[in-house]
Amino acid sequence: MYSNLWLIPFFPLVGSIINGLFGKKIKNEKVIGGIATIAIFLSFLVSCQNFFRLLGDTEKVHQQILGSWMSIGILNVEWGFLLDPLSALMIMVVTGVGSLIHLYSIGYMHGETGFYRFFSYLNLFCFSMLMLVLGNNALVMFIGWEGVGLCSYLLIGYYFEKKSAGDAAKKAFVVNRIGDFGFLCGLFTLFWALGSKGVWTLNFVEISENAHLLQSGGLLVTVVTLCFFLGATGKSAQIPLYTWLPDAMEGPTPVSALIHAATMVTAGIYMIARMNILFAMSPTTMMVIAFVGAATALFAASIGFAQNDIKRVLAYSTVSQLGFMFMAMGVGAFTAGIFHLMTHAFFKACLFLGSGSVIHGMHHAYHHAHLHDDPQDMRNMGGLRKFMPITWITYLLSCLAIAGMPFFAGFFSKDEILWWTFASTRGSYLVWIIGTIAACMTAFYMFRSLYMTFHGEQRTDVRAKDHIPESPWVITLPLIILAGLATIAGFIGIPHAIDVAHVGNGIASFLDPVFGQAQQLHNIGIPEDLAHNVGLEIGLMCMSVVIGLIGIGGAYYMYMKKQELPAKFTGAFPGLHKAVFNKWYIDELYDFLFVNPCKKIGTFLWKGFDVCVVDGVVNGIGWVVKGLASGLRYTQSGFLHNYAMIMVVGVVVIVGYYIFG
Amino acid sequence: MEAMLFYLVALVSVISAFFVTKCRNPINSALCLVTTFLCLAVFYVMLQAPFMAAIQIMVYAGAIMVLIIFVIMLLNIGSVGKSRYTHGVAGAIVLSFLSFIVAAKFIAGGTVSKAVGDISAEVVQSYGHTELIGKAMFTEFLLPFEIASILLLVAIVGAVILSKRKV
Amino acid sequence: MENLAQIAMESVNFQAIMPSLVLCCFGMVLLLVSVFLERGRTAPICWLSIIGLVVTGIISINGWNDPQAGFAGGVVLDNFATFFNLTCLIAAGLTILMSDSYLHREGYPVAEYYPLILFTTAGAMWMASGTDLMTIFLGLEVLSVSLYVLAGFFRGQLRSNEAGLKYFFLGAFSTGFMLYGVALLYGVTGTTKVAGIAEAIRLMPDASSNPMIIAGAILLSIGFLFKIGAAPFHMWTPDVYQGAPTPITAFMSAGPKAAAFAAFMRVTYISLDSLQVDMSAMFWVLAVLTMTIGNFVAIAQKDVKRMLAFSSISHAGYALVGMVAWNEVGFSGILFYMLVYTFMNIGAFAVLVLIGKQGEDNLTLDGMAGLGYKRPFLGVAMAIFLFSLMGLPPTAGFTGKFFIFAGALKAGYVWLAILGVLNSAVSLYYYLRVMVYMYFRDPVEDFSWVKMEMATIVSILIAIAGVLYLGVLPGPVMELAKLSIF
Repeated sequence: MYSNLWLIPFFPLVGSIINGLFGKKIKNEKVIGGIATIAIFLSFLVSCQNFFRLLGDTEKVHQQILGSWMSIGILNVEWGFLLDPLSALMIMVVTGVGSLIHLYSIGYMHGETGFYRFFSYLNLFCFSMLMLVLGNNALVMFIGWEGVGLCSYLLIGYYFEKKSAGDAAKKAFVVNRIGDFGFLCGLFTLFWALGSKGVWTLNFVEISENAHLLQSGGLLVTVVTLCFFLGATGKSAQIPLYTWLPDAMEGPTPVSALIHAATMVTAGIYMIARMNILFAMSPTTMMVIAFVGAATALFAASIGFAQNDIKRVLAYSTVSQLGFMFMAMGVGAFTAGIFHLMTHAFFKACLFLGSGSVIHGMHHAYHHAHLHDDPQDMRNMGGLRKFMPITWITYLLSCLAIAGMPFFAGFFSKDEILWWTFASTRGSYLVWIIGTIAACMTAFYMFRSLYMTFHGEQRTDVRAKDHIPESPWVITLPLIILAGLATIAGFIGIPHAIDVAHVGNGIASFLDPVFGQAQQLHNIGIPEDLAHNVGLEIGLMCMSVVIGLIGIGGAYYMYMKKQELPAKFTGAFPGLHKAVFNKWYIDELYDFLFVNPCKKIGTFLWKGFDVCVVDGVVNGIGWVVKGLASGLRYTQSGFLHNYAMIMVVGVVVIVGYYIFG
Repeated sequence: MEAMLFYLVALVSVISAFFVTKCRNPINSALCLVTTFLCLAVFYVMLQAPFMAAIQIMVYAGAIMVLIIFVIMLLNIGSVGKSRYTHGVAGAIVLSFLSFIVAAKFIAGGTVSKAVGDISAEVVQSYGHTELIGKAMFTEFLLPFEIASILLLVAIVGAVILSKRKV
Repeated sequence: MENLAQIAMESVNFQAIMPSLVLCCFGMVLLLVSVFLERGRTAPICWLSIIGLVVTGIISINGWNDPQAGFAGGVVLDNFATFFNLTCLIAAGLTILMSDSYLHREGYPVAEYYPLILFTTAGAMWMASGTDLMTIFLGLEVLSVSLYVLAGFFRGQLRSNEAGLKYFFLGAFSTGFMLYGVALLYGVTGTTKVAGIAEAIRLMPDASSNPMIIAGAILLSIGFLFKIGAAPFHMWTPDVYQGAPTPITAFMSAGPKAAAFAAFMRVTYISLDSLQVDMSAMFWVLAVLTMTIGNFVAIAQKDVKRMLAFSSISHAGYALVGMVAWNEVGFSGILFYMLVYTFMNIGAFAVLVLIGKQGEDNLTLDGMAGLGYKRPFLGVAMAIFLFSLMGLPPTAGFTGKFFIFAGALKAGYVWLAILGVLNSAVSLYYYLRVMVYMYFRDPVEDFSWVKMEMATIVSILIAIAGVLYLGVLPGPVMELAKLSIF
């Protein structure tokens, strides 16, 4: 019945291969872009079909097995797909937002060299992301997991002539690999832990069924989930591995929208949701997740205050919003987390695409006037409302959504998260307080960017001023659709307290088959007395709206009314501003703590090992000290007798150990 | 009597081995090496392996040593300067000492007090050592024996390739 | 005295050595043919040797599931041997394909090169099928001596001379250890047959505390550990791999290594089974040491060929993990991994063969800059091989590593698996750097000297096909690997 699941990743793969192999020969941008867009749109259609079929189906978990991948005696890994409410929702988001961004890219990337390369990578990314989401076992998921990392790397480095782009790409990949290491560690430990209970499996359905074999709250399950969480922090840019995401803004803007806002960075959240049953078994891990998420939300928001690059503001905002989702996961609000993931995909994609539209316009204007100013710097913008009305409206709607203004999408999802942090059995007031503050800050810096870009006096160079055009329809159409979604999508998750029309919380009941079991089994939820305390819930809701308004008001006051205030503020606290502006010096700290020592170890092992240790054994320490300088000339010591000596040492040590041991 | 002979020959072999490394003149070193080989041949005789002793003298003390001395003379290697090849002596001494301890330990701890396997002293006496080896070589170890011919072929081809003047 | 001839003939079974016999015959015929060819004309020899490999391959495949023992238990052609034989044949075939144009470019069109590769492969086959330590040892020697010559094949190049000489001296040195080990084991058990040793050790009351057995086992292992390039017996690899002609480097890192693993596995798994606890512990330490040293030193390398040499050390470490596991999953994992490694490593070297200039001084990271744009096919091919070497899915490197690590996990070595994963994460750094130079650096040179030689391209295509096939649909081959365990 669900036998066409494989088509969903298949179409983008085909699109990618066609463009990758023949794109250079096709040359026609419309054809190349068309192929890619149609490919992802076809998988959107297939996703829709499966999604609605699943909606009407009573059986909610379906697997499609294409064939065996590896069978290694104890274990049989399949090429298989899993469709359940969680993955159904995800494929809708990925293919839906993906289609819009493909369409947008046709306009945005117009005239770039390597146009075909871009679309080939973008399609390949969609393929990997869909593999990640649809995989029915952890290894297929891992293919997607690595694939999205690789594509993100290729796309961040798309403008490889810029050194910063290459560096950013490398950083993203290396940091992601730390996360992947965590993921694999978790995987192996879990594999072994379940295996030692007699179940050798990597299939998600079987893992869920057999999770009870592990001791709930035990050390093992905590270690496993913490490893997975490390993997999630890498992909989803959480403390301590978030530093790559802001740098990733070196890539083209559609990439930032698709990969670094809507889809790839949510892979960590998705993974936790997919294994919710394991995470639910370890309150310790859940607590760690909640606090890391809260800390990231606050920390990234604070950096967002002082950035002037429009995309960097959005990047830190993404990190911060991902923090909210982790907070949700940590307090057991799995549904709310996924809900926020979805609404965030809409409004953040819209914001990024909006910023792309602005950059596109600014770039055009500067190009027209032969200027080389930075088209991404908000200090060069202002008053763009007049020139790009559609972009402005959509940006405004998305800002309202992210700020959590009532009845926009972000309102429902964010409030649901905050309500759970407050009331859930795994919740904590501290997390709630941090979350609320972060929400206020979000409203502030998002509206700061709105005001600096679209309102007030225009600060663009006079020569370029009047040449800023509104973008073509391929760019504005996706903006309009996404803004529309950002406005109304929240209504599928109306909380019980304000559900006057009794339509019910659609998303909660839809996702219940995935999360219900874990929540019930491990007593995660809103306690009875609070669940019926409608007054309290509405009170908190009002409070967060007020807090959002305070943030917006603050931004309005500082950036519209009293425009000298920010400068004054900076002047009053130069140290603080500098620290925030330089992102709290975290990159420098990491360089100092990890990157440089690693390089040194490598060099030491290369030069130092051979020279000091090898020659040391051979020549006695005194000679080494004296001859170190001359010894350094021989980088790999290269002496035959040294090699032989090392062998003899090895033999003597090994044999000696066993004979005397 | 036998023990005394053993210790005497052993002493000579160790001393001559030492002088192989100690001598600065390659010819002297080579001659010391011949002495060591001859002592080893004596050991084989004492171990009731006359065939091995004969081979040892013919192949090592004879053929190989002649080759070495030819090479030394053809290349006209003089005695080696004092300053080279002296570093690393301390390390080598320490390492040799450690190896000796390890070797001593496992020889002392080895549980083999009698010969095992089909070939015992009586069998050797009744058949004769040469015959035994010949038999083993053409029955049990026929394949390794044949493989050795390929090995020699490869070695010859290699020697020719590496020493040909022109490609 | 019985009739010697009769006894000898009874134990002869040509079926058991048929593949190596055919290969040797081809080698000798080729040596003769080369005499009648004009100087510098090597192409016919090259193609004849390919034919020889194919014929041998067909004969080997025919022997599948039909175990043949012969020569008084000195050799057995079982599935295990056949699997390794085929691996070595593939390695030799890919190597020969990329060799001809290379030899001409470097100015050494010497026909004896090809017979020597055939003899090496025959030696590898005797190692894989030997059930007598003497057979294994002589196989090892045939393989080694041929490789000494091949490594030093470019007589006029100092680097090649150095490689040949170093390999020769250190190889002879390790052979000494190995023979001593064989002698000790023979002294204790009175036999050189692999099964006989196992029997004798099993009958001994306290075998694992008998210093002579332990020392014999370890010294014997050291001979093999040297050949596979495991730390601390790895010191020769970088110098030899860098100095040897590139196709030979590719061959050395795959075929002979696989053969050494074959003999090593047969000896440890059958003969030394009673010592499992001690041997596993030793392999544990050596595996971790090997992986780590190989990876960390590779980080500092600027020369791609040398970097691949160090990385081959770490890959030997991954394969050793299968030995630690000491179960059928781990052992069949090694079989599979050696096949995978043959494809991916030889493929990577084949790309280097194509982009090298005469003398190969341009195979540095800087020399790779912009390759991906100037020569897209070579760039993509190299990228695929590097991904596989990194162990990223869905390439064969991933399935191979997973296979081996699953064996370790099954045996309960969680930490070893985690250290292995950590090491692959480290390895990513230096493989990735090649990618960065290929794709994220502006081309310094135009790569106009690169000739797309048909034969080399074919070997690259075969390697790509192997890497992808074993990555996406490894099932059938894994099944064969499982059937190949004794």
